[in-house]
Amino acid sequence: MSIFEKFAAVAEARSELAGDGPSAIATPIEAVHSATRGVIGGQEVVLAGTNNYMGLTFDPDVIQASQLALASSGSGTTGSRMANGSYDGHAALERELAAAFGWPSAIVFSTGYQANLGTLSGLAADGEYLLVDADSHASIYDGCRLSRAQTVVFRHNDPANLDRRLARLGDDARRAVVVVEGLYSMLGDQPPLEEFVEVKKKHGAWLVVDEAHSFGVFGEHGLGLSEQAGVLDDVDFIVGTFSKSLAGIGGFCVSRHQELELLRLASRPYIFTASPSPAVIAGTRVALKKIIHGQALRAQLQHNIERLYTGARQMGYRLGSETPGPVAAIILPDRATALAHWKGLLASGVYANLMIPPATPAGLNLLRISMSAAHSDEDVDRILDGLSALANEQSRPALAQAAS
Amino acid sequence: MSTTRDRVDAAIGQGLENALPELDQPDRDAVLTSGIGLDSVQIMNLVMEIEDELDISIPVDVLAETRTLNQLAERLTRMIDGDDA
Repeated sequence: MSIFEKFAAVAEARSELAGDGPSAIATPIEAVHSATRGVIGGQEVVLAGTNNYMGLTFDPDVIQASQLALASSGSGTTGSRMANGSYDGHAALERELAAAFGWPSAIVFSTGYQANLGTLSGLAADGEYLLVDADSHASIYDGCRLSRAQTVVFRHNDPANLDRRLARLGDDARRAVVVVEGLYSMLGDQPPLEEFVEVKKKHGAWLVVDEAHSFGVFGEHGLGLSEQAGVLDDVDFIVGTFSKSLAGIGGFCVSRHQELELLRLASRPYIFTASPSPAVIAGTRVALKKIIHGQALRAQLQHNIERLYTGARQMGYRLGSETPGPVAAIILPDRATALAHWKGLLASGVYANLMIPPATPAGLNLLRISMSAAHSDEDVDRILDGLSALANEQSRPALAQAAS
Repeated sequence: MSTTRDRVDAAIGQGLENALPELDQPDRDAVLTSGIGLDSVQIMNLVMEIEDELDISIPVDVLAETRTLNQLAERLTRMIDGDDA
């Protein structure tokens, strides 16, 4: 009896996906030349599966700020924020994040994953409640596991289901933390945020919105779906990441409640890890300014999104979200078709993501394309041409029926 | 008069019918994953149906501890009757 036996099923799934050419899982990217160009399998490709929504990873100002910080403050902090890892840059970024929302407190975490782990496990303790959307990211589920709070899952994007669950808690609903995302990264769909806010207010619960995939993308200042929906005044905490629109690595929590500061003393994922390196912090500070004033980038991204969604639908593809957004999840009938699409798109010079169960909701097989403000019209043409060639090889009714 | 356990068993039957009609009422002593072959998404959908039937919220911890439908029924019965320490 080996301790490795339990991995047999995933190992088999991996070997089923293997074959000629680059792997669809953990695809080796041989070189990255810009926000939208890389080399895979010896071929230059358009990067359309990198969550690089604002396209800032090669922004000259972001890079220069990182380089200066690297030279002036060293390669790493070598310690926790609680000990020797709190530099001026960390505090400045926290002030700037809080100011962007007009709120009193922000905490920086070392990754986006840890931002959810640290926020949820810190906020909800034994005797309290976490109510999370069924399609939540793994970091939300893991944050619940790390918390001692009782965790209950409500139906995806279903405020009425949440309402019933909060009602069952009675007065205890005031000690319940509700967690939703601004954009669900697998299907690219958005929550009915105004309705969730009404339910939360009705029961006196607390609301966390994870804007990992929506920060930078939505709202006049890019603060996320909460800003776009006009509900910021009723959101208690916003969690986000630096590793998508902000083009670095790290995460944050901002709050209208000054008491968020107390999490620094109680949140283990904040305390027991080293703080982000000075170069990452400096680059993120510049990227944050560019996002807040990034109306032109958002307009370009929206233009690209509309083209991709419209084009893919005209080809007969079924998408995971009715509302166009930065993630276009093409629903395919089975794993073999999804893999063939992934390989076919790569052959036509476009890198996207293959997403299969159990990572996906409802057992769906997806080809997931993420758009960037840095994509040119020609880049979007290349993506659409690749999809069109693949659609012509398929029976269109079969595509339209996928997962229906 | 039906007992809580009867109500829970009926709710599980209805939940199976709603969420997994293709299963045709599986062995309730079989392990949900390796025995019946359900993945985590299917189990979650089944649980949502059972929760609606019984008008309760089942904490994630309870699910982590139960491997079969009969174990789930026993745990839910205790939960509903309030002797779930």
